[in-house]
Amino acid sequence: MASALELSGIQKSFGDFRALDDACLTVEYGEVHALLGENGAGKSSLMNVAAGLYSPDAGSIRVAGNLCRFSGPREATQHGIGMIHQNFKLVKRFSATENVLLANPRGAFRSGKKAIEREIREKAQALGFVLDPSRRVDSLSIAEQQRVEIIKALVAGARILILDEPTAVLTEGEANRLLATVREIAERGAAVILVTHKLRDVKAYAHRVTVMRGGKTVTTLDAQNATAEELTTLTVGSNIVTPSRSAKPAGEARLIVTGLASGSIEGHTPLLDATFAVRSGEIYGIAGVGGNGQTELAAALVGGRPPSAGTVEIREPGAQALTDVTGATPRERRDHGVAAVPADRQAFGLASSLSIADNFGIGFVHQGRFGSPAWVDHARMARAAQQAVAEFEVQGVRSLWQRAGLLSGGNAQKLILARELSRMPSIIVAHSPTRGLDVRACAAVQRRLLIARDQGAAVVLISEDLDEVLSIADRVGVMTRGRIVAEFDAPADRQAVGRAMVDHA
Amino acid sequence: MRERNAAVPSLPVADVLSVGDGRRLSLPRFVLEVRLDMPAWKQAVAIGCSIVVGMLISAVILIVAGVPASDLISELASSIFDAQSFHAVLVQAAPLILVGIAASLGFRARFWNLGLEGQMVWGGIAATAVSIYHVGPESLRLPVMALAAIVAGMFWVAIPAFLKLRFSVNEIIATLLLNYVATYVLYDLLYGAWKDPSDAYPHSAQYAGAERLPDIGFINSALPLAVVFALVVWWLAEFSRFGFYLKFIYANTAMARLVGVPIRNVVLTAVLISGGLAALGGFVISTGSTGRLTQGFFEGYGFSGVLIAFLARNNAASAAVVAALVAMLFVTGQTFQIFYQIPFSMVQMIQAIIVMCVAASEFFIRHRLRLQR
Amino acid sequence: MHSVLMGWLINLPSLAVPYALASLGLIIGERTGVLSLGAEGLMLVGALAGVAAYLSFGGYPLAALGVSMVAAALVSVLFAVLVILLRVNQVIAGLALVFFCQGLTNLVGTVANWQNHTISGLHDLPIYPLSELPVVGRLLFTHDVVVYLTIPIFLAVAYLLNWTNMGLRLRSIGESPEAADAAGLNIYLYRFAAVVGGSALVGLAGGYLSVGSAKIWIAGMTSGRGWIAVALVIFARWHPWRALLGALLFGGIEALIPQIAAAGIRVPEYFMLMTPYLATLGVMVWLGIRGRTGADEPAALGQPYVREERT
Repeated sequence: MASALELSGIQKSFGDFRALDDACLTVEYGEVHALLGENGAGKSSLMNVAAGLYSPDAGSIRVAGNLCRFSGPREATQHGIGMIHQNFKLVKRFSATENVLLANPRGAFRSGKKAIEREIREKAQALGFVLDPSRRVDSLSIAEQQRVEIIKALVAGARILILDEPTAVLTEGEANRLLATVREIAERGAAVILVTHKLRDVKAYAHRVTVMRGGKTVTTLDAQNATAEELTTLTVGSNIVTPSRSAKPAGEARLIVTGLASGSIEGHTPLLDATFAVRSGEIYGIAGVGGNGQTELAAALVGGRPPSAGTVEIREPGAQALTDVTGATPRERRDHGVAAVPADRQAFGLASSLSIADNFGIGFVHQGRFGSPAWVDHARMARAAQQAVAEFEVQGVRSLWQRAGLLSGGNAQKLILARELSRMPSIIVAHSPTRGLDVRACAAVQRRLLIARDQGAAVVLISEDLDEVLSIADRVGVMTRGRIVAEFDAPADRQAVGRAMVDHA
Repeated sequence: MRERNAAVPSLPVADVLSVGDGRRLSLPRFVLEVRLDMPAWKQAVAIGCSIVVGMLISAVILIVAGVPASDLISELASSIFDAQSFHAVLVQAAPLILVGIAASLGFRARFWNLGLEGQMVWGGIAATAVSIYHVGPESLRLPVMALAAIVAGMFWVAIPAFLKLRFSVNEIIATLLLNYVATYVLYDLLYGAWKDPSDAYPHSAQYAGAERLPDIGFINSALPLAVVFALVVWWLAEFSRFGFYLKFIYANTAMARLVGVPIRNVVLTAVLISGGLAALGGFVISTGSTGRLTQGFFEGYGFSGVLIAFLARNNAASAAVVAALVAMLFVTGQTFQIFYQIPFSMVQMIQAIIVMCVAASEFFIRHRLRLQR
Repeated sequence: MHSVLMGWLINLPSLAVPYALASLGLIIGERTGVLSLGAEGLMLVGALAGVAAYLSFGGYPLAALGVSMVAAALVSVLFAVLVILLRVNQVIAGLALVFFCQGLTNLVGTVANWQNHTISGLHDLPIYPLSELPVVGRLLFTHDVVVYLTIPIFLAVAYLLNWTNMGLRLRSIGESPEAADAAGLNIYLYRFAAVVGGSALVGLAGGYLSVGSAKIWIAGMTSGRGWIAVALVIFARWHPWRALLGALLFGGIEALIPQIAAAGIRVPEYFMLMTPYLATLGVMVWLGIRGRTGADEPAALGQPYVREERT
């Protein structure tokens, strides 16, 4: 029998950047096939090609043995390929029924809605979960929205289901349930492709795994027989030493947060009550699945959004008294020694259309480091930027005057760190600093945070990557449903932390 | 370690298009690609070409409307080469430079200041008020008039700025609506309290000699005044700390806020200066050209300011140059109005066509169309 | 007093119609995510085209209105190409469109000598015998065809948007073009159709202004009504029926101006004329106070859609 999906020799470039270089993948019906690789390896790009969203520069696509060419996602859907993206392609204001109806018209509007509703209930029941199709999508939890996406694909008749990093936004319990569902779907004869960078998912639920690196397909193995070390080496290509912290006594409390609460941003859980303190020379890691108030907490800490209740206090080095910065502007906080590393680099970290030198200099201009109000000394700014770029190992800088947007994710993050950390701040708020970075860049960023810690900074590390928090944090706070529900000292027990993340439902 | 799982040879692209039974379709497809960078000179050429295209389209429309083609060229040329027309161009350039830099400063702060005409009106009204009520000694009358105009313009733009800051009112609509309000205030004054009793026209009494901008040799002092302001604004935007902040506010406002840029102060300052400059344009027309407050002195400047800022990419120095070109257009338009009964709003139409052509060309600057076989 | 009230109420509908139809046309386009600021210009095109057709083809008002719609739709194609295909900034394109139309209509109207000719235009169509009813008869049943058709048009558009597959698709594109694209819809086609179709209604509004209300073409006769319609769309939170309400409000204000003079109240002429604009500002401030400016805005309004860009 022909393979469900066969991708051969796929090439795709975006300008200079080679996203896919001769990439291949073969998936059979009835199997769960994991596509494993680091960020930037090309997994999502390859799947976008399969789903008709990207057109390949070269290479072929075969579905059930037939050669296909997709000029858009519709044709891919017609060939039975359904993709569930990391960012769900759902209209938030519509109900599940309307979303599914949009992609699968069934005659007249009203009768079509009823027909779709019936189909949704049937399919949900067959897979063993409960779904109310008439509720608005933005009132559903992330896990439920994901199920809507899956049902949408199945109603459209997908026989090849692609899931792009599906467990990234789920708790471990939800993730297990999802992967069990996925196995069920495969057992009913469909082909399922699981794009992931988590070895655990691969080992637990996949039949076979294809490893990608640097846009190329490295190899395909049997998932159950391959060892974790084997897979790691294939994925990463060499041995990356994850930085570890040296034991060091912490100093006095620098950042004291009491009862912080804030309204929700974008429909996440609002921040309800955050109370913790961070001392100088320590990294306080806040672990938790995304969407539990982390964004709101970060915004309240750096001044992006004033909180609705609670206080944020700072003790500056050498000062006796605490300074209340609860309502302070970002600039005031920066003057008091707070540095911010935002989660969304593009939106909050850099001005992509401006130069690297400018993006570095903006952090210091108002202190008068680069000239007077009447004249900005660009030459001096460039020299300082040059020094910082070298010290923080920012690669890909052909000229300090090139657009910062041309830097890769990892280098952009290093530039942001250069700007924020070379000020020797006494408090650093880092929100998901390694999101979307490959392993090498992750290690570099984590190293930088540890260096800052060793120099006496109080670091708040808000991260959805539990491994990261466990490896470099001195103390771990668990954030669930808008509250810090538990605190652990390093070395923290992974099970206990995981339990705390789920328990307070 | 680079093994392939299945030894499937990579197919040449052409075979991708072969239908199952062996036939070959060679349908070429256009693929849109984003250009990573385009050198500045190429961009300038592209914009230049699109301006030419815009002018050609306008020329066609005018020819269809009955203007002889040869006259189009000769009139436009004469605006440079004919001494009287050239003088008119220089006079026309001063207020255009001022609204051009006013618009560009507003846009740099991400504020769509479309109220330039209303601010000009208030500039004229304030200057005239100073004249009518004899504020200040005669020797200082002109500077006082200028100052009054600037303050009035700042006040008029402060309204939509405040509404935006406090109530999130869209400034595009607010500034445009206020233009109509300002115009009606003007009409009320010109047909009523300030109407010159010596004739039947709706304009104010003439300004006294000391209240008119003097000529400096060949040209009226309005022009060097405007150029000085253009240079000041250019310096502000390119070299000062204020301009540096403005750059970031324009490029990524959210990031600027996080990094500590005083957004509210910078934006408000930029917007107020923008209003003041536009009002100064009204002052310059009233004291430099017409010598009194007239009914329609501001017409056409609003969109011209936007056009100038758009073509000059919000750069004050380029705006001065573009303003001179627009002045040529204005003078040509006035000629056509007199000799061919073409309404003056044709100038606006030509400007709009040019904006559309330049905006369209940006698409081709940013993207490349590639043929994929 | 009674006659002032009656006078006001009788004139209200025909003054409200241009606001109603223009904002409805804008809503159709904006629900698919295309911000359209060109209403002022398209209304002028419709107004001129209506009078031009009336004068040129022997005085058939309904046909003239049809020409208004077609002319505005044609001009809007230019805007649609710029904004949907070439991804030009929608604010700039809208502004340029307005000034282009202002200049063009002025030019054409002058050169072809269509301006300042009064026409008999659209006549009132009393619905006998309902129009004989006391009070109500005069108020509701003595208007022209377009006034009568406005409600059915609103019903049709509301039905289209909320109760049909087509409406579902249009709305989805405005809320989440990524989802619509993934569902296989051709974003460009739907947006194009919505913008051009909506513009036909805007053109009708303009045509009604010249052929139905004023019965003349004068350059610039829309006097900012297009901008008020743009504000109305925000006020209506992109729902057709609320737009109708807003149109009645602004039609009411406009109808009030002559009645105040007729009632003998002395108010400076030009300050009276300012009221529609100040009222619009007031409405927008009120919206801002209530904090609901963006609540029902189509989530993707104003953003050109790009599927494949990685910069």
